[in-house]
Amino acid sequence: MKNIFYSIKRNSFILISTLAIGGLYSCSEDFLDVEPEGVPVGEDFFVTGEHAMQAVNSIYGNLREWNNIAFAHLAITTITSDNAEKGSVPGDAGFLDNFDNLTVTPTEGQLNGYWNGQYQGINLANQVLTNVPQINMDESLKARLLAEAKFFRAYHYFNLVRAFGGVPLRLSVPLPGEQEDPEQLNLPRASKEDVYAQIVEDLREAAQVLPVNYDAANEGRATKGAALGMLAKVQLYQKNWQEVLDLTEQIMGLGYSLTPNYYDIFRISGENNNESIFEIQAATIPGNCGASNSQWAEVQGVRGQFGWGFVEPTQDLVEAYEEGDERLDATILFRGETTPEGDVISESAPNPRYNQKAYVPSFVTNECGYGRDQNIRILRFAEVLLMHAEAANELGRTEQALETLNMVRVRAGLEPIESATQEELRNLIWQERRVELALENGDRFFDLVRQGRAAEVLQALGKNFVEGKNEVFPIPQQQINLSGGTLTQNPGY
Amino acid sequence: MKKNCLLLVMCLLMVHLAFAQNTIPVQGRVVDASTGQPLIGAGVAVQGTSIGTQTDVNGNYTINAPADGTLVISYIAYQNAQVPVNNRNTINIELQQDTEALEEVVVVGYGVQEKRDVTGSIASVTNEELVKQASQNPVSSLQGKVAGVTITNSGAPGASPQIRIRGAGSALGSADPLYVVDGTFVDNLSFLNPADIESIEILKDASSAAIYGVRAANGVVLVTTKRGKAGDSRVNYNGFVGVQRVTNALEMTDAQEYATLINEKNGTELIPTDLPTTDWYDQILRTALIQNHQVSASGGSEKITYSASAGYLNQEGIIEGNEYERITARLQTDFELSENVKVGYNGIFYNYNSLDIPGDIFYQAFVAPPIIPVFKANGNYGDSFDFNVGNFANPQASIDWFKQESSGQQFIGNAFGEVEFLNNFTFRTSLGVNYGLNEFTNYRSQDSLTSVQYASRSLLTQGRSKRTSWLWENTLTYDKVFGEHEITALLGTSAQENKFENFVGSVNDVEFNSDANLYLDLGDPETFLIEADGDRFTFLSYFGRINYTFRDKYLLTATLRYDASSKFPSSDRWEYFPSVGLGWRVIEEEFMQDQTILDNLKLRASWGRLGNNNIPSSIFILPVSTDARYGSIFNGVLYPGRNITQVVSPTLYWEVVEEVDLGVEMGFLNNRLTAEIDWYNKETKDAIFGLTPLGYLGLTGEIRGNYATFRNRGLEAVVNWTDDISDDITYNIGLNFAVNKNEVTGIATGNNVFFNGNLPVGGYQVSITRIGDPIGAFYGYEVDGIFQNEQEVAASAQPNARPGDFRYRDLNDDNIIDERDKTIIGDPNPGFVFGINTGFSYRNFDFVLDIQGVSDVDIYNGNRNVRYGNENFSQDFFDNRWTGPGTSNFYPSASLIGSNLDPNDFFVESGDYIRIRNLQVGYNLPQSLVNNWGMQNFRIYVNAQNPITWFDYNGFSPEVGGVPVSQGIDRNVYPLSATYNFGVNVTF
Repeated sequence: MKNIFYSIKRNSFILISTLAIGGLYSCSEDFLDVEPEGVPVGEDFFVTGEHAMQAVNSIYGNLREWNNIAFAHLAITTITSDNAEKGSVPGDAGFLDNFDNLTVTPTEGQLNGYWNGQYQGINLANQVLTNVPQINMDESLKARLLAEAKFFRAYHYFNLVRAFGGVPLRLSVPLPGEQEDPEQLNLPRASKEDVYAQIVEDLREAAQVLPVNYDAANEGRATKGAALGMLAKVQLYQKNWQEVLDLTEQIMGLGYSLTPNYYDIFRISGENNNESIFEIQAATIPGNCGASNSQWAEVQGVRGQFGWGFVEPTQDLVEAYEEGDERLDATILFRGETTPEGDVISESAPNPRYNQKAYVPSFVTNECGYGRDQNIRILRFAEVLLMHAEAANELGRTEQALETLNMVRVRAGLEPIESATQEELRNLIWQERRVELALENGDRFFDLVRQGRAAEVLQALGKNFVEGKNEVFPIPQQQINLSGGTLTQNPGY
Repeated sequence: MKKNCLLLVMCLLMVHLAFAQNTIPVQGRVVDASTGQPLIGAGVAVQGTSIGTQTDVNGNYTINAPADGTLVISYIAYQNAQVPVNNRNTINIELQQDTEALEEVVVVGYGVQEKRDVTGSIASVTNEELVKQASQNPVSSLQGKVAGVTITNSGAPGASPQIRIRGAGSALGSADPLYVVDGTFVDNLSFLNPADIESIEILKDASSAAIYGVRAANGVVLVTTKRGKAGDSRVNYNGFVGVQRVTNALEMTDAQEYATLINEKNGTELIPTDLPTTDWYDQILRTALIQNHQVSASGGSEKITYSASAGYLNQEGIIEGNEYERITARLQTDFELSENVKVGYNGIFYNYNSLDIPGDIFYQAFVAPPIIPVFKANGNYGDSFDFNVGNFANPQASIDWFKQESSGQQFIGNAFGEVEFLNNFTFRTSLGVNYGLNEFTNYRSQDSLTSVQYASRSLLTQGRSKRTSWLWENTLTYDKVFGEHEITALLGTSAQENKFENFVGSVNDVEFNSDANLYLDLGDPETFLIEADGDRFTFLSYFGRINYTFRDKYLLTATLRYDASSKFPSSDRWEYFPSVGLGWRVIEEEFMQDQTILDNLKLRASWGRLGNNNIPSSIFILPVSTDARYGSIFNGVLYPGRNITQVVSPTLYWEVVEEVDLGVEMGFLNNRLTAEIDWYNKETKDAIFGLTPLGYLGLTGEIRGNYATFRNRGLEAVVNWTDDISDDITYNIGLNFAVNKNEVTGIATGNNVFFNGNLPVGGYQVSITRIGDPIGAFYGYEVDGIFQNEQEVAASAQPNARPGDFRYRDLNDDNIIDERDKTIIGDPNPGFVFGINTGFSYRNFDFVLDIQGVSDVDIYNGNRNVRYGNENFSQDFFDNRWTGPGTSNFYPSASLIGSNLDPNDFFVESGDYIRIRNLQVGYNLPQSLVNNWGMQNFRIYVNAQNPITWFDYNGFSPEVGGVPVSQGIDRNVYPLSATYNFGVNVTF
């Protein structure tokens, strides 16, 4: 009797235990399905028009990134040129001397930073271009947002192709597992021509859709003028003169005008004015220093007084200005000078000259750091006029060339050029480009390369420019390593 | 659904009571057969039933037993006795000490086991050894004590040391082991006072750890805190006071030497050589005080036992203004509700307060030029701007300006109920909680200290993080002896949820008059910023274990754990983790009875599979990046920017560790000499790695997937000698060492190489993980001397080099120095770790000397590599640098820039060290005197912790650590310090 009772009890115990464990199992999947805390999930993104807007906004935000506007950008585009030296004090960020002297090697970290910064912008644009078309939203807004993304994809590829030559041409979003799949891995470098062709295509499509201007709340977004202007510049680099002429004339019909006083262009009050075609927008957002992150002005600000003092304008640049050129004083901040805003530049500043286009008066807040409010001028009407002049001259249309060239000269307080041969005019336009755009948007080094005289000009200043090598920078070694050697190095490096 | 789950699991709690039988009352006394001393808490049970009791403080028991039944009397370290009742009412029993009971009992997961029955590799450290260390963190007390366990200390007060068991078992994450305190899983042990710990067991091999399945890939550290014993009432006081001083401070250049170097480097007279010197380390370091007090009480009656303690620690940091204060309290009580029902709880509470220092203060002091004065003549802080050497923070200004207090509380508790039924079954349910809160308040005042240390608006930042976790475990144990067979079987379930919440708010312009003003709502509302994040993950597991012993000679342990974790996608969520261990106590065999050399010989072999849960939650779910930097600004207004900047691996599954362990245990000369040797091969398969994506994909962060397989293989040996020379003099010497070799055996991705280990300057990566080499090996150029002159440069493969630069070896002889010339230049995985622990006692004096060290390990001297500009140099560099042809063929010139900073073996240094870990002299006051004071014991001691460390490395400490794929890169210069204590142990 006892035994039977025991065995029943035992069996029931086993039965109940089994049920309990089985029950646990059946409810366990609920217990184990845990949503990530506090993070929006990718699968719920790109669903609404608001998401499309946020994704496009991220492309603008990324432009302010350190790699895109600070050391890497300034080193590659400006310190390399005849307009500026490394600056700051000897030894400080000594690796930038390699850009100043054109002795950069593939492992130089700034190269990798520049590469990654541009491609991160390209990915943000590719995400938009891949995912936004499927979103159910206002179609005209959608078209505009896609056009903005194309503009920036082109902008970043243009930066890459100028700096490195042909680069991997990535037009789609990274897929999960892609890097593990050798078939998909290791996109080789596309040819320079293919990269340019893609840039042109993106800019053309963008220009067709983008509006000429925006309401105040959207001031600073890419416009039709920006896309046409960028396209003109891209064509300029490819010496497609007729295209440049047509595009610049088209922009000249969009209502832009020169700012009467050159100095005003670079002040905070002059941001997005009627001469402006595209600027990287920056501001101090009170309490949010993470978003107030543009260090373009701080890196170049007067050392000790405002900023770090890199990118020291050269004496050669000072001498490039003609007598009476108002732009000299607006471009270069001299040790000991008093600015129109009343700041006295210290006599004991370590560098004789600083970039005045990166000057932000001391009354502007520095709560997130110096100069966080300064926009970076990427493209303005004066450059469009100079591109027009250059194209017209190359096409033999001297009158047209002189007309637009002189608009820029006269605004700077200089006498107009009355006449010149094509060769003379070419040099005059190149000279005008230099002094008009110096230390501003990072064109000078690439202009010299484009004009085929980089070796001549830079070697004369003692820089180690080697023809057939230094026209482009080395592909970052880290990228070659990651690609397992599929990415090839540029000649001479 | 959740409710149903609970109901169902309640079934597991069902209690099956045994039956009462016709019985007679029996009483008696249990004593030690040789001394006659009563044995307190001995178990007295009726064979074949669940009836049982324990002896009281006088060794007496009372039990109702069947008149024809048999009593079984058991006591730890004594042989069991079986006495037929034979209708007697009084039965006194003498128990014989078990001659084999030198064998201590060790704690294994979900139970205890006699050491001699263990088939895996388990190391045990007792309270006695821990309290000898007078250290604040129990983990650092283990350093040098356990073979195969590498501990890397941090000098920061309150910080937890890094611990590695048998090499790095996983690549991503911390590679820290699982900590289990009284059955509750915790992240570290910094909340525990070492004096509260009864024992620490380290489960090293896979078969011991497999019962913890998915959590155990990096080993398990089981901590058992003290529990009260019936009748054994005592009150203890343990305390020490001491001082901490920095040892091995790295000598930096003085102002004159610095100026010389900078002028040499820049080729101009940039700095005058007659400036006064500031020794920044001298300026910011101090001798720090430490005190630690703990009072504990334990005892109880037959039905209730308790243990309680309270402790206080106050430790100053070696940096001015740094202070850490900790209060710990613990209460444990067990209740015997009836003969077969027991309940109890255990609660540990801790509270800390800390005055913090800037996180990069040692870095600041390391790089700050010695020409900058602490203060200028006008009383302002010395400013790097005045010297044109680049931007450097004034470290003193940083300390003075920094105002941060943090505090935290944590409660770790556990309650259990245990029922014995049907004679051989024990059901136990336990619920553990771990609740913690951490807070900090940081206030940066509006100030302008130097040209690089200023704030135009004050900033108040406050943060709070909360952790809640619960763990519910149920086990059913079956214990039975059938003749020559002894079986213990265990079945269990475990469910756990962990939740973290983190909240940080900041605001500008809070007006500060006192700390009472530090509230976020008192600032400028326009500047409110809130950041919050969280984490949640769950586990569900079933497990079982069988221990089987046949004839006390043949041992088997088999476990199986079936684990699931929310950290993995549902397709790959569940995994089995089996293990098996075999033991053969050869010494028990007939053929061993005639030999006289060995007193113990046991052979062990085990195999097991473990998982690793030390990965972030939900890494298989694609997140949206919401960082503030993605916000766009139009017309001065910020608009949110969000986008997808990552990819996640489509398939992600368990990384598993499979380990084989072969061990032998031996005893000689009456077990005065014992030795234990283990060989292991531990393979981490499909380890989850972070892969640096190709730049053109434009991603941020890493791509994580099951990318690599690697193994740790090694040998561990422990040898102990214990003897007495006379009645007055006893001594012991213990030696332990371990060799470990790490090798990557497989990689799943296309390019077969992972680069990690970022160096401070220039985006270089120095660590490589590739097949055939150790994980995170150093990879770079071999330095083949220094270019002495222009001719040598011109004739070399480095045409852009300058005299004084490194000449790199052209390994492929193509006359170009490039990536193809890079090779493995060092291994940061420690190859040999050892400890020597000695004790000596003479009458009332006791003496301890512990030595510990590591060798066959490399460090990448990333500090020396910090050359953005005009950072300070070490004296060693000044003394040995190249200054012209023939001056040095090893050290470069002061112009350490450009390709000199490419990863190369100049920066690779030996990380070998040997250290006096603990030196202690104690004195027990004479018993007669102490008894007069009403005490049982009174001991005083002085001790020195880490007084001397010998090493060649040109840094502050050879203990560098780091995550496996980028370990051993010294970018942190927290100096080592020695502690000198005076302490008292009193027992009332």
